[in-house]
Amino acid sequence: MLAIPHQQRLPIAIAALGLLFLALFLLYPLFNVFGASFLDSEGGALTLGNYAKMLGRPFYRQAIINTLGIGIAATLITTLISVPFAFALARLPVVGRAAILALASLPLILPSFVSAYALVLLFGRSGVVTQWLQSMGLGFGSIYGAGGIVVVYVLTLYPYVLLPTVAAFKAVDVSMEEAAQNLGSSPLRTVRTVILPIVLPAILAGALLVFIETLENFGVPFVLAEDMPIFAVEAFKLFIGETSPNPSSAGVLGVLLILMTAAVLVVQRHFLASRRFATNARRTPPLLNVGRGVQAASSLYCWAIVILALVPFFAIVVLSFMEFRGPVLHGHFSLDNFAPLLGRASRPFFNTLIFATAAAACATLVGVPIGYVVARQRNGMATLLDVVATLPFAVAGTVLAIGFIVSFNSGPLMLTGGPLILVLAYTVRKVPFTVRSASAIVHQIDGSLEEASISLGRPPLQTFLRIVVPLMLGGILSGAVLTWVTVASELSATIVLYSGPWSTLTVVMFQSLESGGAGVATAAASILILVSIVPIALLYRLVRRYGLD
Amino acid sequence: MAGASRSFGPVRAVDRIDLTVGDGEFFTLLGPSGCGKTTLLRMIAGFCDLDSGEIRFGEKRIDRLPAHVRDIGMVFQNYAVFPNLSVADNVAYGLRARKTPAGELAKRVEEALALVRLAEYGKRKPHQLSGGQLQRVAIARALVIRPQVLLFDEPLSNLDARLRVSMRAEIRELQKSLGITAIYVTHDQEEAMSVSDRIALMNAGRLEQVGAPADIYRHPASRFAAEFMGTTNLVEARALGREGGLLSLRPEALRLSEEAPEAWPRLAGNVVDLEMLGPITRLGVRLGDGTILNVAILDAPERRLNQADKVTLAYDPARLTVLR
Ligand SMILES: Nc1ncnc2c1ncn2[C@@H]1O[C@H](COP(=O)(O)OP(=O)(O)OP(=O)(O)O)[C@@H](O)[C@H]1O
Ligand SMILES: [Mg+2]
Repeated sequence: MLAIPHQQRLPIAIAALGLLFLALFLLYPLFNVFGASFLDSEGGALTLGNYAKMLGRPFYRQAIINTLGIGIAATLITTLISVPFAFALARLPVVGRAAILALASLPLILPSFVSAYALVLLFGRSGVVTQWLQSMGLGFGSIYGAGGIVVVYVLTLYPYVLLPTVAAFKAVDVSMEEAAQNLGSSPLRTVRTVILPIVLPAILAGALLVFIETLENFGVPFVLAEDMPIFAVEAFKLFIGETSPNPSSAGVLGVLLILMTAAVLVVQRHFLASRRFATNARRTPPLLNVGRGVQAASSLYCWAIVILALVPFFAIVVLSFMEFRGPVLHGHFSLDNFAPLLGRASRPFFNTLIFATAAAACATLVGVPIGYVVARQRNGMATLLDVVATLPFAVAGTVLAIGFIVSFNSGPLMLTGGPLILVLAYTVRKVPFTVRSASAIVHQIDGSLEEASISLGRPPLQTFLRIVVPLMLGGILSGAVLTWVTVASELSATIVLYSGPWSTLTVVMFQSLESGGAGVATAAASILILVSIVPIALLYRLVRRYGLD
Repeated sequence: MAGASRSFGPVRAVDRIDLTVGDGEFFTLLGPSGCGKTTLLRMIAGFCDLDSGEIRFGEKRIDRLPAHVRDIGMVFQNYAVFPNLSVADNVAYGLRARKTPAGELAKRVEEALALVRLAEYGKRKPHQLSGGQLQRVAIARALVIRPQVLLFDEPLSNLDARLRVSMRAEIRELQKSLGITAIYVTHDQEEAMSVSDRIALMNAGRLEQVGAPADIYRHPASRFAAEFMGTTNLVEARALGREGGLLSLRPEALRLSEEAPEAWPRLAGNVVDLEMLGPITRLGVRLGDGTILNVAILDAPERRLNQADKVTLAYDPARLTVLR
């Protein structure tokens, strides 16, 4: 200890604890998934046979093609839709811009599989709209399969491209545009040479995020794919159906999924690191002068996307107040759907609240100190910490959960069957987000504030708690609330890890999907929507009221 | 401080520096950007480790102590006033860390605020203060803990020119009246001259010259010192008809022949440059061998001088400095 300089001790202690946590609850489970994929079904001998076996089957090769194909299609369409949307929001006199921006970020916090489920309830085989149309003798194509999945992805993931691209369009300094035009550049040329290079990295970053989300998503294909093989779903089915001691097949799919997402992340890092165009826009560019026609058309376009994306959620809330008999809807108002969830069988509801709270607290406790070190230190230790803490982002919930089961089903750390395993899995999954948001805030806090505090006699840890944490409070709070909201609607890891009395609202939805109890599912979905929106609205008010931003 | 060194990769930011600062002295580290002033200051404060060498306060060696027990007051370039605390709480911060009893704490905070003329501002939040006021809060906050040494890192560089001049006088006065030892970093030669008891001139991590401001100005030990401390004429001794190497001759040591004492040597030349700056007039005069001399003379209404005029200059031989 004596050899370590004083001002390095706190960061090193944080990094050591952070790495220990991540090694135990991230690297070790992942290592076991890798291990499972290279061992035979008895877990005895090392073999490559599992890969040969899985890749030899057309079914799983098709799963790779489907997953990548759907991901690429969804990413392309999302980008094509979102870039004009972003341009309109940033530069055109669109009607109700503030409202559009607020509504457009909602899909980020609303669970995407609820949207998929709403689609089934409305347009599925026995969907409300389908039956109504059939009664009039009309029919339409199936929403099951690739088409439906892509639609849901586009409608729920478009904010990932939209929001950063709007910011990028606004970050183009007017003086750069003016300079280009002064130099005799035509408007089109200005777009190509001045605006695109600034906006492109934002678009790409968003698009790659969308792609990763599609690769990892479990809920949407589970609802809509039917018999079409999709990676995350097949890994889950294999794991659940596995009878031999070693889940080698699920392990293979898990490893392949990790490799795919990790490859995308590496591409993103490499590509974006080499072209970062920081402009300090002092004057945000003005709205363009356009005619009424363009204004009307662009407003219509923006509102159409925003509303279309929210219609499924709205529909589910409406449907949850109607009477169902089994899967069949009757058009009367009723609170019956909510009765079991809030009455007799309220465990899942309270489990959801408790798990989300515990996970938000843990992810904050783990992520904030790590984010602080990542932002303040420039050395190998900080880089390692950053990379490891970003890793969960490349790991689908299903795969992490399989790793958890394999790792913690015996021995001193026996966690399977209890609630803690869920909280830990959520924590690990959300750590990248809390680390990112924490380090972004720390970057804005001048380091000399800490030095001032230390030179006034407060040791580093006290300085961190008394100066840094209070200054980060607004950001920490927002990060925690966002974590809370996204954990409450987590499905992919939950479905593998829950057991006995520890089910959640998402599990209730999942089970009633399989058993056809649409009423309870809509009620669970409505509660989830409420549980997602209310904390965000409260947070927004709090932050504005106390000026915490 | 003895043999203090620190490298960042290939850069020797601070290179084998020996210094002794006296009790109650106002000591300034002066040098161009990147010469290692901040690094040296941060070594004293404990935010930067030494590769080798040592730092002592009196007999006590401090370079191995953690920063928070060194008992040093530090004033930062960007003030570093805690934005989430009121002015009074900022000032009380160091006292609270020292567990000062409430009664004494209130008294000392009040005194410190009065000292920097902010007695009425205790309840305000930092964002309600101007830059000059913020810097005074930072000074009060550093003073109130009665540190052994007060460190300043370019404390005035974020203020406008007029405020800089009045603040530096204020800092100097405060330091003298409290008898506190101060180490002050700046790259502004005029600022350094106006506040310091002694100046250490730094260049590329090394000490160039240490001495009283007037000494360094009048007797620079090197070409770098001569040039950094103010405008000067670097001339070969031959151009003045003398023996020796390179000489430094300040512009104000030159006068027009008719305004100079008899005993001063004379030089003939042509005016090639003429700048009237109010109290003084600057001339560029080309001598017979092509050397151009900068001359600064006090304004005199009856004098008539024009571009290209032939003039005879005189210089004070006592103010010639022979550079190595
Ligand atoms: N943390 C660091 N990592 C790497 N190099 C550093 C670091 N801090 C300082 N340096 C280098 O050390 C040298 C001295 O820097 P220092 O900040 O002490 O200069 P300075 O005299 O205070 O300059 P300025 O007047 O611009 O503030 C510079 O070359 C600088 O680039
Ligand atoms: Mg400096």
